[in-house]
Amino acid sequence: MRSFLNPLFALMLAAALAACSSTPTEDDSSATDDMSQQTDTSPVTPVEPSTPSKPDTSSIPLTADNFYNHPSNYDGTTDSRVIYFAFDSNTVPAAAFETLRAHATYLKNNSNAKLRLEGHADERGTREYNVALSERRSKAVEKFLRVQGVSSSQLEIVSYGEEKPAAFGHSEMDWAKNRRVEINYTAGRP
Amino acid sequence: MKLECRAQKMWRIGLAAILVFGAAMARAELLIRVTEGRVDAVPIAVVPFEGAQNAPEDVSQIVQADLHRSGQFKPLPAEDMLSRPRNESEVIYRDFRVLGVEYIITGSMKAQETGGYEVSYALFDVNRQVKLMSETYRPPVSQLRDVAHAISDRIYEQLTGIPGAFSTKILYVTHNRNDKNPYQLQYADADGHRVTTILRSKEPIMSPTWSPDGRKVAYVSFEDDGMPGVYTHDLATTNREKVSSFRGINGAPDWSPDGQKLALTLSRDGNPEIYMLDIATKKLTRLTQHYGIDTEPRWLPDGEHLVFTSSRSGGPQIYKLNINDKSVRRVSFQGAYNARPDVTPDGRYLVYVHRRNGNFNVGVQDLQRGTFNIVTRTDMDESPSVAPNGSMVIYGTQDRGTGVLEAVSIDGRVKVKLPSKEGEVREPAWSPFL
Repeated sequence: MRSFLNPLFALMLAAALAACSSTPTEDDSSATDDMSQQTDTSPVTPVEPSTPSKPDTSSIPLTADNFYNHPSNYDGTTDSRVIYFAFDSNTVPAAAFETLRAHATYLKNNSNAKLRLEGHADERGTREYNVALSERRSKAVEKFLRVQGVSSSQLEIVSYGEEKPAAFGHSEMDWAKNRRVEINYTAGRP
Repeated sequence: MKLECRAQKMWRIGLAAILVFGAAMARAELLIRVTEGRVDAVPIAVVPFEGAQNAPEDVSQIVQADLHRSGQFKPLPAEDMLSRPRNESEVIYRDFRVLGVEYIITGSMKAQETGGYEVSYALFDVNRQVKLMSETYRPPVSQLRDVAHAISDRIYEQLTGIPGAFSTKILYVTHNRNDKNPYQLQYADADGHRVTTILRSKEPIMSPTWSPDGRKVAYVSFEDDGMPGVYTHDLATTNREKVSSFRGINGAPDWSPDGQKLALTLSRDGNPEIYMLDIATKKLTRLTQHYGIDTEPRWLPDGEHLVFTSSRSGGPQIYKLNINDKSVRRVSFQGAYNARPDVTPDGRYLVYVHRRNGNFNVGVQDLQRGTFNIVTRTDMDESPSVAPNGSMVIYGTQDRGTGVLEAVSIDGRVKVKLPSKEGEVREPAWSPFL
């Protein structure tokens, strides 16, 4: 049986690193963003944009098992656009809470902004069943944002299952990168 | 391009999808290898047909490859033949009996002045020393392969009592992420030749399936702004219709045996449920009612029942649904993961994906005897699809990290590999008899 990161331990890690978690990281999930369209209207502007320094997460080894809840995957701002999930799970990881709250705040302050939540699964299992599993992940993220007060009219869901992998290999780490919900702004991008 | 669209959403011709007109032949044909045959395969000799060397297609080679690929027959290599009879008068049975050959096929190909060919063949029983059958066809050059497969079908049925499925086609999805249109829907002859691309898209194409008359296919395409729709597609006219584009999942279409309805998965009411769509009237009937995942419906031959995957007991298992009273009964009981069922044409066997020790294999459940057998030894197997004569199951699997197709006999004794030259090949759907 696969061992997962103890959720309590993960919470402690997230809390311990909260101080620096609003600093932008090299998270490549934002690489797809069109930087020219980025404006400074975000209410959670990084504190020191001129000297971006990576949070010191070197002490926490990044493994396939803790990938979904690893602080290095989430910067706590709307720049983070990918939420990862544990194997066979649709539980939003604690390390992503701050990032999702930032998106929620942005959406509440910008009623013209619209999100598409794209659910994905790893390649194991049958394709249509994986589409259904990935829908549960996008729905979990949708629910999180709704609880924060985001209007349902700003949220849209699409479920791709294993059809659009982010990583094309077949290792546990590739699978960890593919179990995800991508947050795509279709209007009013921050 | 004639597009019919009665779906609620207005049709938008996305740049994401490009229809391919006519028969666009791709160069990448599937090369087929028999990796495991029956030890008791029947030795046969397909004598090279007279005149076949100069013909654009060698019918005798195609027939020999077909019979070999079935796993039921072991062809004698031409170089091992002691004599090469061109017709009945030249057959020396002893030459074949000493080599253990049980049946001989002879034939000829003669170019016609009209441009086509006259193809004749005869089948001989070595032990009884008699001619079992002989026929003559006069096809145009473009139909030489069809005639070869028709001959294979006739011989296979004569010798096994089961109709041959060599004249059928395989529909499948390819994925090549270096291509401008990474997702393509193609079909090919059952031997992998004559590949035709019917749809190219930047967005995923999934779950292709045939109409019972073999004239249309249905599939899921995300071409419309990345959102899923279920489409029907006429292969001859290339007319397409988007029949389902509800909010949420639109997936897993399967044509009813009478061709009038599609079973499909929709999550429009909150979570994935099985629905039945009347294609002509667009009437939608919800068939399942459960907070778990219900998906991957497949009609049973009686047209009154479906099998499908459901997570209602926790992990995915196979269930059987009566479409009249909507009653549901669990069918699979071995292991914690059973999904994506298909059914043999006689309704006796279910084939589905079974997980064991982290591996995904194709399993066959005999509904009469209640037995269950895993028939593949690969890993990451998916999308099993049964041949229309019930003899073989084609499925997707991985070979060194790349999606490939393999086929296995229902009893697991014959295995055939269909490696692709480029990109991934997946989600095979075996056509009905055409």
